[in-house]
Amino acid sequence: MIKIKCCSALLLAVFASSVMAAPSGTFRQAHELGFGSSSSLDPISKGRVFQITEKIMSRLIRPGLDGKPQADLATSWSANSDATVWTFKLRSGVTFHDGSSFEAADVIYSLGRVLDPESGSPARSAVKMIDKVEAVDPMTVKISLSTPFADMPLQLMDYRLRMLPEGSGDTIATTGIGTGPFKVEKFDAEGTTVLVANADYWEGSPGVARMEVIGISDGQARLQALLGGQIDMERGITGQQKVMLSGSSKFKLQEIPTGNWRGFVFRTDVKPFTDQRVRKAVRLAADREALVALVLGGGGIVACDTPVEPNDQYRANITCPQDIALAKKLLADAGFPNGIDIDVHVATLEPSWPTLAEAYQQQASKAGIRVNIVQVPTDGYWKEVWMKKDVAATRWNERPADQALHEIYLSTAKWNESYFKDAGFDDLLSSARRQLDFNKRKALYVQAQEHLWENTGTFIPYTVTKVVGTTSRVSNLDEVKNDAVRWHKITVD
Amino acid sequence: MLSMLLRRLSLGFITVALVSIIIFTGVEFLPGDACTAFLEREAQGKLLENCRRDLDLNRPAIDRYLDWASSAMVGDLGVSVNGQQSIAELVGNRMNNSLLLAFCALLVGVPLAIFLGVITALWRDKPIDLVFSTAAIFAMTIPEFVSSTVLILVFSAWLGWLPGIVLTSANASAAEFFPEIILPVIVVAMVMTAHILRMVRTSVIDVLASDYVRMATLKGVPYWQIVFQHVLPNALLPAINVVALTIAWLLGGVVVIEVVFNYPGLGRMMIDSISDRDLPVVQAIALILATVYVSVNLTADLLTMIANPRLRTLHMRK
Repeated sequence: MIKIKCCSALLLAVFASSVMAAPSGTFRQAHELGFGSSSSLDPISKGRVFQITEKIMSRLIRPGLDGKPQADLATSWSANSDATVWTFKLRSGVTFHDGSSFEAADVIYSLGRVLDPESGSPARSAVKMIDKVEAVDPMTVKISLSTPFADMPLQLMDYRLRMLPEGSGDTIATTGIGTGPFKVEKFDAEGTTVLVANADYWEGSPGVARMEVIGISDGQARLQALLGGQIDMERGITGQQKVMLSGSSKFKLQEIPTGNWRGFVFRTDVKPFTDQRVRKAVRLAADREALVALVLGGGGIVACDTPVEPNDQYRANITCPQDIALAKKLLADAGFPNGIDIDVHVATLEPSWPTLAEAYQQQASKAGIRVNIVQVPTDGYWKEVWMKKDVAATRWNERPADQALHEIYLSTAKWNESYFKDAGFDDLLSSARRQLDFNKRKALYVQAQEHLWENTGTFIPYTVTKVVGTTSRVSNLDEVKNDAVRWHKITVD
Repeated sequence: MLSMLLRRLSLGFITVALVSIIIFTGVEFLPGDACTAFLEREAQGKLLENCRRDLDLNRPAIDRYLDWASSAMVGDLGVSVNGQQSIAELVGNRMNNSLLLAFCALLVGVPLAIFLGVITALWRDKPIDLVFSTAAIFAMTIPEFVSSTVLILVFSAWLGWLPGIVLTSANASAAEFFPEIILPVIVVAMVMTAHILRMVRTSVIDVLASDYVRMATLKGVPYWQIVFQHVLPNALLPAINVVALTIAWLLGGVVVIEVVFNYPGLGRMMIDSISDRDLPVVQAIALILATVYVSVNLTADLLTMIANPRLRTLHMRK
C-alpha cells in the first residue's frame, strides 16, 4: 500500500513537473548555414532556416508521431464527394507573436504567397493544385482545387507551409512572426539566433525558456560542438561519427528512418536506356543490402526503386534481390550480349555518391555492366550535369508519396530527371488522386510503384536512416523526423 | 632611401592589382555563379534569369571587374551579392576578429619563440636543445587540422576544460571571444612559435660562430656579456622579417584553423564566399590580404634597414 502511495506520489510529481513547470533552461542546436548571408526566416524562401521556422511558426496540419495528418492550426477538415473542395475549421483563440489573432484571412494570405508564381517559392509545387482559397467565416476556410485530390491534408503538412500574419510578407524574413511555441528574440543566421518561449502557445507553455540556433557550416565542427557540450542536439550524424557518441553516458542517440534517398538516374530518352530491359538490368545488378552496409555502414533501409519512404502508408512492399543471371539475360535480349559500358557522373556534393558509385561498379561488373566513374566538380552540378548527362547521381529529400511520384516521374514534371514518359503511369497517378476510398487509393499508389520497379530509369537503392545525437541533459525529444517533433515538449536539466 | 621607398610602394601596388585580376578571373572560370550556387536544383528557366538580372550578372565580366576596381580605388568595396550588406562593414568585423586571433597568438608566441630559440642555440646539442628542437619540428609538420582536432578532443570533449568551437557572432566584442578563442590561439601560436624558434636558433648559432664573437672570447670578455651585448642584437635582426611574414600568414593563412574552430575570421569568410560565389566579397578579402602582405613586408624591410645601417646603401652599389 505504501508502495502504491509512493508510486502515485512520484507519478504525480513527474506529472506535475512536466505540466506545471515554468519554462526553464536553454536548448542549443546548430544549423548548416546552407545559404550564408541569404538566410531568412521566410518559410517559403529558398534561404529559409527551417531549424528556426519549425519552432516559431505552425501549419494548418502537421504530421503526427505516426506520420499521419494531425490537427494543428486547423482543427478539422472535410472534402466534397470528388475531393475538389476542402473545408478547414480553424483553431480559435490562437494569437501570433505580435498579439494579433489568427484567422481565415491569414490562411488566405499565407497560401496566396506560396501560390503566387512571382514569389518563385520552391514550396509552390506542393500545393499548385490549389485554385482558390476563400474564407467562409473568420474561422472557416474553403480551398478549391483545380483537380481532384484525395490527400490534400498530406500536402498541407509540407514543412514550408507555415501560417504568417496577413500582410507580413515584406518583413517576415527578419521578424519571423508566427504562432509557434517559440518567438524570435534575435535573428543572426551566421551567429546565434535566440528564441524565447511563447507562453501563449496554444498547446501550452514550452518546456525550455530559451533556444539558441547557431550557424556552423562545417559538419565536423558541429560534431565537435556536440562532443564538447556546446550544443545539445545534432541531427544527421554520419555512421562513422556515431561511433564517437554511442556508449558514452554523456549522449543519447536516436535512429530515425527517413525518406531521403540517393541514387543514379539513367535517362530513359537516350540509348541504350530507351530499352526497358536495359533499365531493369542495370537496377537488377545491384546488391542493395550490400550497398546499405558498404556505403551507409548499415544506416539505411533497402528501397526497390520507389521514392516512397519506408514508413509511408502508401509504400509498396517490393523485394529486389540482386539477380545477375536475369540482368545478363535482359541485356542479351536487348541486343547487348557482351554487356554495356556506361559513364556514371558523381560529385562530392553528396559525400556518399562516389562510394556508392564504386560499390555499384563492383557489383554491376558481374552482369557485364562496365561502369566508368566520372568525377565532376560540385559547383554547378545541378545545372551542368544533372538532367544533362546520360547517367548521373541524384538525391532527394523525402516527400509525401503522391508528391514524390508526381514531381519525379510524371511525364510533364519539371524535375522528371529520367525523362520518364509513360501514359499508363500518369493515368495511375491521376486516378489515385481522385479515389476517395483509402484502400483503393493505396492499391493504385502501390501499383504505380510496382510499375516503376519494372520500368523506371531511376535507381534508388536505399533510404537513409538519420542519426540524431543529443546531450544527456535533453529529455522528451520526440523520436521522429524533425518535421513532426513537438518542440514545446523538450526539457533540459 | 626615398626613391627606394617609392619604388617598393609602386611595385606593391602592381602586385595588389595583379592579385585582384588573377582572383577575379579564377573565380569567374569556376563553373557556376552566385545564382546557381544559391538556387541549386532550381537553377533553370525564369528563376535563374530573374536571379541573374537582380544580381546584375548578365554584363560582361570585364565590365563588372572595371566597375569594381574603380570604386575599390576610392575605398568603396561595394555590397555583397546576396546579402546586400556593406562589404566594408562585413569584412571589417571579420578583419578585427582575425587581428584579435593574430594579436593573441603573437603575444604568446613571439616572446616564447625568442626565449626558446636563444636557449636551444646556447645549449646546442644538449638535451634541452634536442627536446625543444624536436618539438618544434613536430609542431611544424603536424597539419593544423590534426592538432586542432586533437586539442578539441582532449580539452573540450574529454576533459571539458575549454569550449571547443567558437559560437560567438562575428560582430561580438573582443572580450566575448574568451574563453572560446583559447584553443585556436594555442594552435596558431604552436605553429608560429616553431617557425620563429628555428629561425632564431639558426641565427644565434651563426653569430656565435662569427669572428667577432670569437675575438671577444679570446679577449676574455665574460660569456654572458658577449651573449647579451654582441650576439643577441645581431642575431635577432633577421627575426624581424620572420615575424612580419608570420603576421601576414596569420591574417590570411589560418583558413584551416578558422574553419575547424568555426572562428568568424577573414579566412573562413573567404571560403564561405567562394562557395556562395559572392565575387565582391572574395575580391575585397583578396585585396585586403594582398595589401597586408605587401605592406607588412615593406615595413619589415624598412625596420631592418633602420636597425642595420649596412643595408641602407646596398641598392646604390651597382
